[in-house]
Amino acid sequence: MITVSCPECAAEITLEESVEVNEIIVCPDCGVDLEVTALDPAEVELAPMEEEDWGE
Amino acid sequence: MAETDFSTLVGLVEHYSPSGDERLAVAWLVERMRALGFGEAFVDGGGNAVGVMGSGPRQVVLLGHIDTVPGEIPVRREGIPPHEILYGRGSVDAKGPLACFVDAVAQAGVTDGWQFVVIGAVEEERESDGARFVADQYRPDFAVIGEPNNWDRVALGYKGSAWAEVTLRREQSHTASGEQTAAEAAVEAWLAVKAYADTFNAEKSRVFDRLLPTLRGMESGQDGFEQWARLNIGCRLPVEVTPEAWYEKLVDVASDSHLGGDCHITVERVGYPVPAWEGEKNSSLVRAFLNGIRQTGGTPRFVYKTGTADSNVVGPVWRCPAVVYGPGDSSLDHTPDEHISLEECEKAVNVLTRALQVLAAK
Repeated sequence: MITVSCPECAAEITLEESVEVNEIIVCPDCGVDLEVTALDPAEVELAPMEEEDWGE
Repeated sequence: MAETDFSTLVGLVEHYSPSGDERLAVAWLVERMRALGFGEAFVDGGGNAVGVMGSGPRQVVLLGHIDTVPGEIPVRREGIPPHEILYGRGSVDAKGPLACFVDAVAQAGVTDGWQFVVIGAVEEERESDGARFVADQYRPDFAVIGEPNNWDRVALGYKGSAWAEVTLRREQSHTASGEQTAAEAAVEAWLAVKAYADTFNAEKSRVFDRLLPTLRGMESGQDGFEQWARLNIGCRLPVEVTPEAWYEKLVDVASDSHLGGDCHITVERVGYPVPAWEGEKNSSLVRAFLNGIRQTGGTPRFVYKTGTADSNVVGPVWRCPAVVYGPGDSSLDHTPDEHISLEECEKAVNVLTRALQVLAAK
């Protein structure tokens, strides 16, 4: 069982066995989007920021 | 990080190709893709440049556009590497992203089980004729659309767009009668459209989720028998409002706005409306791009755009995981100062090459 700590609220999160690097997951406690950046050992970071922009 | 030769980008920008006049640039790009080792390179029935690497069965289509807005800008390089800048029409919108596609696929090479198709589509700046042609030609597993969004950003949404002419007509009346004129009714109709959009948008924090109507023109006239007024209304649409739904709402709102008047109202569609497109954030394609950006030294970001792109045309047809990607600052789109950083182009090629490799390894 792989666990990581949410960088936003410090909740302990259990990753599913099928999780992939760069997958976006949601912290079950605070709801923030996280990106799995490594698996051995497992690491998560806040998911990419969402911006808005005009233009094509 | 592999070094990028900028010959593809510079050659494309040197072949000035405003919409409707892309033929020489298309021919040049076909030859360029052949020289870079694409197994096939040809001009398709829609006039687009197409390069094919590998034979599949899984397929990634990388759809850029080769046309630009009019207004030739002398092509020149300024600055000293690694801070060199290329000036020229289309350097950002969107020959930078298209050249990135070509060079990245050339670097990725033939990949067992996969086919990479690069398309330089025509007419994107007008009615997207090139993209409309290819929409029925392919059913890719993944799609990458080329537009400038900076090398470390992945675009996951483009708003829809629908244009209309709203015309109000009524019988002529005496100016002393006090009756509402067609021009007055048109003003009320526009204010009602704005009020409807303001109400719709009230709880929506993202611009991407809002209705953005604009009044782009207004004219009126009369003769001895009739008065008329016409509004040219465009609207940038969120995902939840299709062009069809918007046109129906426009009729309702404009009609309700002048219940006390005698105007006959017609709403005519203008051009090709397109629905908003929003890509899935958690696809293997997005993961591959996040990987590529991080491996190239960046911190990835997502972006949602208020404009439109060819993703709005092919997205609803292909219905596959897709992103919009490409180097460059889109605030330079269509400006007389259009330019792109060659360092950024090189990073984008590395991101895309890596992304294709990661995707193909799954």
